[in-house]
Amino acid sequence: MKGNRWLFAIALCVLFATMFVACAAPTPPPAQIVKETVVVQQTVAVPQTVAVPVPQTVIVQAPTKAPEPTTAPKPAITEIVMADGQSGANFQEYFQKTAIPSIKAATGINVKYIVTTDAEQFEKMKAWKPGAGDMHLYFAKNMAAAVSSGVPWEVLDTTKVPNLAKDDPVDLKSAAGVDLKGAGAAFWKSSYALVYNSAKVSKPPVSWKEWYDRRAEFKGHIGLIRPDAKSSAAWRQRMMFLHAFVGDKLALPIDQLQNDPVFKDAWAKLIDFTSYAKMPLASEPVNLFEDFNAGDSWISLYAQDYTMWSARQGTMPPTMKAVYPTEGADIVEASYMAVPANIPDEYKAAAFKVLNYLLSDDSQMRLVSTMFQYPATNVDPNLIPAIVWENIPKMDVLKKTAMPRELQRQDLINYIAAHAAELTPK
Amino acid sequence: MLQAWRKYEQNAVTLLLLLPAFAAFFGLFAYPILITLIQSFRPEGQTDGFTFENYVNFLSDPRGRDVIVLTFVLAIGATFFSLLFSIPLALILREKVRGDRFFRLLVLVPMMVPGLIGALGLLLFFGSRGWFNLAAQALPFVQEPLTINYTIHGLILFYVWLYFPYTALTTLSALEGLDRAVEEAGAVAGANPRQVFRFLIVPQIIPGILAGSVLTFMTAFGAFSIPLITGGNYRPLSVQIYKEISSFIPAHWSAASAMAIVMGILQVAALSAYMRLLRQRQAR
Repeated sequence: MKGNRWLFAIALCVLFATMFVACAAPTPPPAQIVKETVVVQQTVAVPQTVAVPVPQTVIVQAPTKAPEPTTAPKPAITEIVMADGQSGANFQEYFQKTAIPSIKAATGINVKYIVTTDAEQFEKMKAWKPGAGDMHLYFAKNMAAAVSSGVPWEVLDTTKVPNLAKDDPVDLKSAAGVDLKGAGAAFWKSSYALVYNSAKVSKPPVSWKEWYDRRAEFKGHIGLIRPDAKSSAAWRQRMMFLHAFVGDKLALPIDQLQNDPVFKDAWAKLIDFTSYAKMPLASEPVNLFEDFNAGDSWISLYAQDYTMWSARQGTMPPTMKAVYPTEGADIVEASYMAVPANIPDEYKAAAFKVLNYLLSDDSQMRLVSTMFQYPATNVDPNLIPAIVWENIPKMDVLKKTAMPRELQRQDLINYIAAHAAELTPK
Repeated sequence: MLQAWRKYEQNAVTLLLLLPAFAAFFGLFAYPILITLIQSFRPEGQTDGFTFENYVNFLSDPRGRDVIVLTFVLAIGATFFSLLFSIPLALILREKVRGDRFFRLLVLVPMMVPGLIGALGLLLFFGSRGWFNLAAQALPFVQEPLTINYTIHGLILFYVWLYFPYTALTTLSALEGLDRAVEEAGAVAGANPRQVFRFLIVPQIIPGILAGSVLTFMTAFGAFSIPLITGGNYRPLSVQIYKEISSFIPAHWSAASAMAIVMGILQVAALSAYMRLLRQRQAR
């Protein structure tokens, strides 16, 4: 009897521990279907672009269908589903309140917006049915995963989506080093920026080196996220710093890199720089935001769009501004829209129409003026309200200072996480 | 023959009725434990092989030991202060004071609020510009904002806020089950209120207090949202396990599993020691 009690107690506790690990695993949350109720009053004229051929580097995939017997034309689809497994609160709100009404006004197509996860969506798309998702939004890394997920994706070109001609061919070719095979249309470009509270910092540093040199001026007010946090800011902040001091040597193999004197010096500088941060380091972005609100943090490197949107929402000081350090703020990455190839033609036609609108100047201007997210197309910056550029730098500044994509390395990300203790002053 | 058949039939029905419970037990209990246990002995990132490395790395690292000590400090601190707060509260609520039902509902609030939301709320409330500090600075002897967030005492305070309902409810339940006539008899016999409490009430509500303290200790030991958001550099076992999974790409599942198993064993050991201690006290 006594032994049984012991066994039961042991089993119970191991269960709790096991359940904790199981719960910590990234399990897909149930999809939430958000029905759009906002009605747009202002209709925006959509400039139609002349079809310009975009060089297609790779020819894809989609399984060829046997020709079907001619039947009566199917009625045009007036509603499609957009699946989003990437966006945070800011873009979820943007799609529901801004993008979808403007799509409806411009194309007459209603978009049902669902928040989902990649893994769930990949499985759904392998056996598509109405409502499962007719177009998808992916960050660069996720777009790369989507291409190799086994889901057939439509090869996009300017005959299907004329405004695709406005996209940068470099973005169309590959994402996160993976050949996209024409499957993705670049929708926006996201970036990290040196964000600061202009009420506290009147003259922000314009380079990492200047920031490092002026660290004493910001002592206790530099907002850094813990290097072992879940947020990608955990490694982005450090990687950008290291890049500023190590330069192209950052491309060395990790074993060689960590023994390189230049890297060692940069690492020592990073440790030193961290000691000037607001303590304790922010556990997650929510703590960073609260530190800014409390006036404890003045300056940080964080997602420009989310920071500026949060300032507008009141969850960060309204005086937040962004600037790019000359040695690189971040790798400028595109996010993509993709259309599955195994959906019926009438759904495809509607998805292409919506996608074409999303790449239009009107839609891209909304992105930057509402969300401070850079356009992925070649929209003329002069069309964008000047007030936007008072808060964030112009796109060409970012392009000049962007860190090369190939330097964003998984092994360096893990190196930073593994050495978190060195970068977390007590 | 007929009797044997009936018995066989009865056994078969019993077995059938037990099947869902067995399935749930193996599916939700035994299988995950087994998988975690196996994973904890796998070399990191591999699907086969056997190693003690994950345990050795964690237990031989001074930071690993610090994490274990911190987890115990937080759980024991939360249990102790929860009891300290809950017993007087239960005694007051027992008297059916004015607004009694409202206060009883209020006690349940921490249990109803999701942990993460509660953690964020506490962070804002006790922040340097939060309501707590606004009120505190109105006092003449408080010049600077009091630092509560990201400190060990703040963390224990937040744990108490989240977990005291366990001790409060079980103590209150035990108190309300007492026969008032016993206390009256004690008073008639000449015992003062302190003696009535010490020698008549406490011995009778001990089981309720113990049940609550065990619940508080166990939940505080595995607390996650509160230390993740409000802990700063104080990161107990649960947060460290999460870090192994969320910070590395690919996730360090083997290291996380080893830590989870260590956590489970420590919980069992602590619970057993606690129960044994209590049994010894009760036997005396």
